[in-house]
Amino acid sequence: MDKTRKKKKHSAAYDFFVLLFKTKKVSFISMLILIMFILVAIFANVIAPQKMVNGTLVSNLIEGVKAPSLQHLMGTDAMGRDLLSYMIYGARTSVILGISCTIISTIMSVIIGVASAVIGGKFDLFVQRFVDAWQCIPGMLIMLILMAIFGSGILQMILVISIPGGIAGSRMIRSAAFAVKDGNYCKMSKMLGGGNGWLMVVHVIPNIMPMILMNLANSLGGVIMMEATLNFLGFGVDANTPSWGYILTSQGRTKMYTAPWIGLAPGIAITLMVFAAAMFGDGVRDILDPRLKGGMGTFDTYKIRKIAAKYAAEAKKKANA
Amino acid sequence: MSKYVIKRLLLLIPTILLVGVIVFSLMRLIPGSAVDMVVYNYSKSGITITYEEAEAKLGLDKPAPVQFVEWMAGLFHGDLGNCLFKSESVWSVISRQVPISLELGVLTLLLATVISIPLGLFCASHPDTLADNIIRIISVVLMSIPIFWVGTLVLVYPAIWWGYSVPLKYVSFFQDPLENMKMFFIPALVGAITQVGVQIRAVRTMTLEVMRQDYVRTAWAKGAKEIRVMYGHAFRNALIPIITLFGGAIAGLMGGSVVMENMFNIPGVGQQLVTALTNRDYPLAQGCTVIFAIFVMLVNLIVDLAYKWCDPRVTLE
Repeated sequence: MDKTRKKKKHSAAYDFFVLLFKTKKVSFISMLILIMFILVAIFANVIAPQKMVNGTLVSNLIEGVKAPSLQHLMGTDAMGRDLLSYMIYGARTSVILGISCTIISTIMSVIIGVASAVIGGKFDLFVQRFVDAWQCIPGMLIMLILMAIFGSGILQMILVISIPGGIAGSRMIRSAAFAVKDGNYCKMSKMLGGGNGWLMVVHVIPNIMPMILMNLANSLGGVIMMEATLNFLGFGVDANTPSWGYILTSQGRTKMYTAPWIGLAPGIAITLMVFAAAMFGDGVRDILDPRLKGGMGTFDTYKIRKIAAKYAAEAKKKANA
Repeated sequence: MSKYVIKRLLLLIPTILLVGVIVFSLMRLIPGSAVDMVVYNYSKSGITITYEEAEAKLGLDKPAPVQFVEWMAGLFHGDLGNCLFKSESVWSVISRQVPISLELGVLTLLLATVISIPLGLFCASHPDTLADNIIRIISVVLMSIPIFWVGTLVLVYPAIWWGYSVPLKYVSFFQDPLENMKMFFIPALVGAITQVGVQIRAVRTMTLEVMRQDYVRTAWAKGAKEIRVMYGHAFRNALIPIITLFGGAIAGLMGGSVVMENMFNIPGVGQQLVTALTNRDYPLAQGCTVIFAIFVMLVNLIVDLAYKWCDPRVTLE
């Protein structure tokens, strides 16, 4: 009795991270990289050599386009701002956008998907037709239109990236919710007088939680890439907000030859961040996706093939002898 | 089969209607209308024109619902109206520029497919080996590289190192196929980078899924050749999800081509849309978006029909 009590009980999250560490080394490292980016974003004011004044990095044209040196570890850009500081503050923009967009779009997906599945009937039909129609319009075009509606800025970008993401992701959530909704406990709850709201919050959402978390982790990479692309097209944040995509298009392109560091640093940073996000998302999916459970059977096929090859070789030897 | 196709085509109509509603209302939500633009342009050249006059000139003086119905009716008649700022019908602009975007999209997808399917199958047939792991990591890296960045590098460095630059003057494929390919090949290759990464992973996962099935095991066990097992049994059955992916990719590539068109100066429909949006040229922007959407719907239909072709077990309802 005492022994079982003494045993430390781990939370599901703890188990998850241990599993991630044990089975998915690359994903775990990717998670650490992401955490590093987040820390850089939070402590940008402490780390950055050149601090922001009134929300902007002060430009100093005399110091413009200096190659990396001890004073400026990554050199300076055309406006004479320390590139390292710019990158650090740019990480802040990316992290803010990445986290808020994934969260908002996932919440939207959950609301649309779960409501559509649980309420059903005409509501479901209408919502699904709307989602169908929305999905037919290429995402980039819709984002450009939305960007024109909302204007530029971080908050606007968050909305513009989250809305299409939320609508697109609702499909998966809906089908997951459908599977749960038909479970006996849901039917029982309904019979006992539980309303749709109760059903959604108490039964359906907790049961599709792995799916929701998976959606959250998987959309992160796409969001960061989207942010960079929109900034690159000139539809993103305003010129005072440091952003990797923006500096790439505003200076990296024109100064690519005379000052390659301005173009290289943001490109590498975007790649690293999206890579880490994608790898982390992969690991999360492998652990949480119910469809991939028992997915270790692949090894079995490989083994059989090897055995088959061995037998074939033996048979050949026999035939020769 | 033909019954199914007709049914699907008829079902397109309500979807087109809904797309029309979405696009039309989104366009009207953009602050600053075309009328302001016209008034401003006239005042710049010294002509004073009242807001109402400009509105009437552009045909925007009717209430929005009336405009919508007229536009929709025109759409089903194949008439998308005239551009507000060009003396050209929307249809002629679209029919000139959609083929350009389409060529870029198809070429990108083609290149990506040629590269990714053999690599994906190789990974699937050698799971968890060193080569497989390396290819997988490379494919995620490819997915993570911003293509607009690679595009910039490709535009700048070859020009400096070897004096080679991608031609930036558009030539139609039918005029001079070689010149045209010279212009499109590099953008398509750059655009294919992300797609290759996505597709290698998809092909690998889907094929592995199939390779767990009993019939593949049987095929190995009875001593079938590797090529036969991989292409005849595993890949053929993995085709359905892969085709779905390709269908989605065409839509994404057409939309995402804005970036490549912007960079390599290709006069495609994406470029046109960006200008139309900044000018608030409602008919043009609406027309481009709806035509895109209809194209995506048709691709989805073709994808569904392709299911039947590659898997006889599928029944179309």
